[in-house]
Amino acid sequence: MSNRTLPRLLQSPAVILLLIWMIVPLSMTLYFSFIRYVLNNLRRPEWTTPSFSNWRGFGNYEFVLNNKDFIFAIQNSLLIVGSILFFTVIFGVLIAVLINQSFPGRGIVRVLLISPFFVMPAVNAVLWINMILDPVLGLQGIAVNGLNDIIVGLKDAPLVGWFFSLWPTLEPISFRATQTSAYAVIIMVTWQWTPFAVLIFMTSLQSEDQQQKEAAVLDGAGPWSQFRFLTLPHLGRPIAIVVMIQAIFHLSLYAEIEIVSRGNGNKNLPYLIGEFANNNIGAASATGIFAVILANIVAIFLLRMIGKTLME
Amino acid sequence: MAIVAQSTRYGKVTRTILAWAVGLLFFFPIFWLVLTSFKTDADAVKPEFLFFFTPTLENYLNMTENYDYWRFATNSIITSIFATVFTLAVGIPCAYAMAFNPSRATKDVLMWMLSTKMLPAAAVLYPMTFLTKNFLGIYDTHFLVIIVLSLINLPIVVWMLFTYFKEIPKDIIEAGKMDGVNTWGEIREILIPLAWGGIASTALLCFIFCWNEAYWTVRLTTTEAATLSKLIEGNRAPEGLFFGRLSAVSAAAVGPIVVLGWFCQKQLVQGLTFGAVK
Repeated sequence: MSNRTLPRLLQSPAVILLLIWMIVPLSMTLYFSFIRYVLNNLRRPEWTTPSFSNWRGFGNYEFVLNNKDFIFAIQNSLLIVGSILFFTVIFGVLIAVLINQSFPGRGIVRVLLISPFFVMPAVNAVLWINMILDPVLGLQGIAVNGLNDIIVGLKDAPLVGWFFSLWPTLEPISFRATQTSAYAVIIMVTWQWTPFAVLIFMTSLQSEDQQQKEAAVLDGAGPWSQFRFLTLPHLGRPIAIVVMIQAIFHLSLYAEIEIVSRGNGNKNLPYLIGEFANNNIGAASATGIFAVILANIVAIFLLRMIGKTLME
Repeated sequence: MAIVAQSTRYGKVTRTILAWAVGLLFFFPIFWLVLTSFKTDADAVKPEFLFFFTPTLENYLNMTENYDYWRFATNSIITSIFATVFTLAVGIPCAYAMAFNPSRATKDVLMWMLSTKMLPAAAVLYPMTFLTKNFLGIYDTHFLVIIVLSLINLPIVVWMLFTYFKEIPKDIIEAGKMDGVNTWGEIREILIPLAWGGIASTALLCFIFCWNEAYWTVRLTTTEAATLSKLIEGNRAPEGLFFGRLSAVSAAAVGPIVVLGWFCQKQLVQGLTFGAVK
């Protein structure tokens, strides 16, 4: 066997499997997105089997683009992904800087911090929406009630009572409405993914140039300017990577939306695809192609960045 | 150590307290889940039993009766283990060839593999359902779940193994060749013992990802091959009736994995950033 054949042979199972995995379903999606294809239609039974004779051109794409749900799903996807990115990066940087130096019990704090990341998404959603955020039975409801009781008690107190009587009774928030359930998803995913950001920023902080920092201290730089002019620029690249990786993961967020929002109108692109796929396969496929395009925009930048470090 | 000298004792105490507070805050929901799992369903929603209650094991003892827990758990264990083994079996030779016989295309092949990981799963939802249900007839089987889990984790596994193998000096492998060892022997006798740590942590991470997967395991199964993700997803909205028992089954589903996760924090950074952060 020649010097080249064997390595190719060893790689081929992985490459062939991934090639099939990528090409077959995706080309089917592409095909379905250009034909009329529905699962149930009594008046036009010919549309229920995929065939070139049902060619629709860009009709499905037009249908999807003019669909109110699609615009809403895109906006909602962007709201959810954008908010999660914003919070995870901010919290991630702050926490990473906080625990980067040694303190008693640092190992334990690290373990506590990373734990949420390993919780399965379905449990994450069930736990937050029921046990924590529920307006009546969850911790939120209990906390709001407790606070109200305290305020009511203080209204009768001498001297300061008049001040507390100005306070309104607090209302717990229901996180099962269309808009608020998006917030619930943001909260739970931020909780789960902040540890990921922390872990990556900490890894990066460990390679920070300590001599440069010491020199800055000698020059009289305070903690804030050290952070602003040394640490933050150093974190630029990891922040970009955290943002891109999370964007790709969260654009396909599914379990959380499904569990928190079923039937209440809150949706993102994967959820909308699932809804379309109950009957209108053409529309589901066209939406899928849009999702691929959206993910690719991010993926191209990310891959370029990974490529640069790959062979070092 | 100018920085340490600069920070005062007061600052260090504040930092310690703050860091612990953040750690405990992030861990609190998990703690709460476990705590609730020891309450009866009735106690779980009563404010007066928030922290002080008579603990009971009832929820754990009744898991099988209430949710058929072990059937789903067995499915999760079977599919995750077999998917991990299969992924490694395909991934190790591939990463070996890439690391020790790189060609000009190696980098592009790796990048292409990673790019498959970035495709949104939902885009191919219907074709996958159609293919597996109507065409191949493997919908809702362990086989299907194992294959799908393997394929979605293969890029990360190849990538991680590649970075580990790259660190091994080529001379050692070459020396094996001189002694007349064949490729299979090289992998088994030299590579696997040398890269054992890396392979083990890759396997662990792959297992965790398989266990937690929540799109295909939910969409491509109904009963036969349904995993824990599907079980929890199916009991999403108990309206406060079953907080205790739902907590128990959830805690049982995530507990082992969270503990496993503690052991592979370091590899996680590598595995998830594709080595782009060092």
